[in-house]
Amino acid sequence: MRKLVARVSPYALIGACAGFLYHAATQIDFHRRAGTIGPDVWPKLVLGLMIATCLYEIVRVVLSRGRRGGAAGVLQDMVEESEARYGGGNVYAGAKSPLLLAAGIALTALYVWIVQPLGFVLATAPYLAAFIALGGYRRWGVNAAVSLIGTLAMMFFFMKVVYVSLPIGGEPFAQVTLALMRLMGIR
Amino acid sequence: MEVLQHLAAGFLEVFVPANFAALVVGLVLGLLVAVLPGLTLVMGVVLALPFTYTMDVTAAIILLTAMYIAGTYAGAWTSILFHVPGEPIDVPLLWDGYAMARNGDAAKALGWTLVAALVGGLAAATVMVALAQPVARIALTFSTPEYFAIIFFGLASVVSLGGSSLANALISLFAGLLIATVGVDDTYGAHRFTFGVPILSDGIDYLVVMVGAFGLGEVFLRMEQRFTSMPLQSVDKVTTRLPTLREAGAIKGTFARGTLLGIVVGLVPGAGATVASFLSYGIEAQYGARKAQMGSGIPEGIVAPQTAATSSVGGAMIPLITMGIPGSGATAIIMGAFLLHGLQPGPQVFETSSHIVYAVFASVFVGVIGMCLIGYFAARYLVRILELPEVIVSAYVVMCCILGAFAARNNITDVWLIVVFGVVGYLCERWRFPVAPMVLGVILGPLAETNFMTTMISFDNDWTVFLTRPISGTIMVLSLVTLLYPLLRHLRRRTRLAAT
Repeated sequence: MRKLVARVSPYALIGACAGFLYHAATQIDFHRRAGTIGPDVWPKLVLGLMIATCLYEIVRVVLSRGRRGGAAGVLQDMVEESEARYGGGNVYAGAKSPLLLAAGIALTALYVWIVQPLGFVLATAPYLAAFIALGGYRRWGVNAAVSLIGTLAMMFFFMKVVYVSLPIGGEPFAQVTLALMRLMGIR
Repeated sequence: MEVLQHLAAGFLEVFVPANFAALVVGLVLGLLVAVLPGLTLVMGVVLALPFTYTMDVTAAIILLTAMYIAGTYAGAWTSILFHVPGEPIDVPLLWDGYAMARNGDAAKALGWTLVAALVGGLAAATVMVALAQPVARIALTFSTPEYFAIIFFGLASVVSLGGSSLANALISLFAGLLIATVGVDDTYGAHRFTFGVPILSDGIDYLVVMVGAFGLGEVFLRMEQRFTSMPLQSVDKVTTRLPTLREAGAIKGTFARGTLLGIVVGLVPGAGATVASFLSYGIEAQYGARKAQMGSGIPEGIVAPQTAATSSVGGAMIPLITMGIPGSGATAIIMGAFLLHGLQPGPQVFETSSHIVYAVFASVFVGVIGMCLIGYFAARYLVRILELPEVIVSAYVVMCCILGAFAARNNITDVWLIVVFGVVGYLCERWRFPVAPMVLGVILGPLAETNFMTTMISFDNDWTVFLTRPISGTIMVLSLVTLLYPLLRHLRRRTRLAAT
């Protein structure tokens, strides 16, 4: 029963979201012209097909009691057949770590959150160092050098060569960025 | 004759120092990206895009195209030497390429790969140049129903080809089409799914979706696996030994079949080098003269997938340049670079900017030759990038994703969006929803909708027009067959299983 619920729930969730968006599509505000279809038709068509596909998959999973085995893509079939015959090419053999993944996502979100107030340099160097350490790399000197030199190189390239105005941060952090920019000859 | 003149001018354009430098940089980056198992060629092209923002349009397109070509080649080295496919394209090379290396002839296996990439790449480039103008002339006669039908075919083929579940691929595609509708509608100026968030009024750029889903999503997936790739075997020295002309001539049929198949698969929107590689190997294993020995380390097993993979690039460039329809992730980025520089690919591009188009065509020839030269002389140095810890490479991939998203509009909201799409990309992989249909849906969605709406307005809301016009009708029927084929295959297999 739990397997069945687990297999059905993604489709139920997607179907419910599609239903909500279909409702939102019916509320699209526009000036209708006589005899022409409006901007709501295309999204409604897509959402209708999406809901129908979810319903089909839910019914199929329930009828097959949670077993996998719907139609697969042609390439997938080819890959599976060939790998069964000649051996696979799986490069990654490590055990999964959902905690590490959650930490990685949280760290990246934190970086995006702080990059504007702290500025590119002050946010990026610690982020890179933390990311590399989180990934299990334990040579601290190399980590610090790679993070710092990489950050400065990216700052130089994007601000001086590609002319992208990276965040310089708010006060007092902006002073650090501005000092570095002066040192690198970035205006 | 006129084409040859344009092409000659294109060659001159390629050898302008800035363009030639872009070509060499693109080739080296493409080779490196292909060697690294954590980076796919599409990811590589995505990550390179922001670096081309301030470049001249010709140099920018040449760089990205060079990366695309080289990305179909160098992954073979790691497949052959270490039994680690650099790209999904290179999985078929594990079967005969690695077997040949294990039989003590790694240098010869690398030589066969090089010759296959050279032959496939040059043949496809020739076909591309020969077909581009005639196809563009035909495309000029197309109306919106035909364009819609071609796009529909592309979407149908991407659903039909990939993924472990057809339903999941369809849902992924619909999600992509839906993401493409977010923002202010072009015809009516109506806000769709913006929910009062100002940044959503500008819509969600497909680059944001691509960078997030392909780039960040992949890094998150690797992170969950603790960045623990399989340990590499030690290889004393990497050398390439080319096959003799007689040896190559003995399997000319394999070269021809692989090249032709690669071009045709490249032409189909939605398919690409990976499909070409697997399909070509499959055909050789089924119909080749030495089909019984496939998998034991014979040259046919190397040549078939490699010629097809490299020649698919030439094929994929045709719909992009002549119709403005990108059929794969990499060509979508190249199209993005065209648009960023104010150039719309399509049949008119031969009138307005033929010098750029032919410079790009010429760069494919020069790129294929350059890639093989670099491969011959520098493979031993380039594979050393595998010694870099994966976590450091991944950290920089994340930074390139973030900077790429930020640089496009100088907006931090785009960076938040790529984090969101990174998580979406990860969840898609986890729950077995293929990412490619979603991305292609976002790319082709606006084109599909515009052509659908214009057709409806022009033909009094008569939807049967897609089926009653000869060209669009044929393509629509072909699309339905493409969509139904996996289902029929599945039903046939079930019936066969039930019978046994």
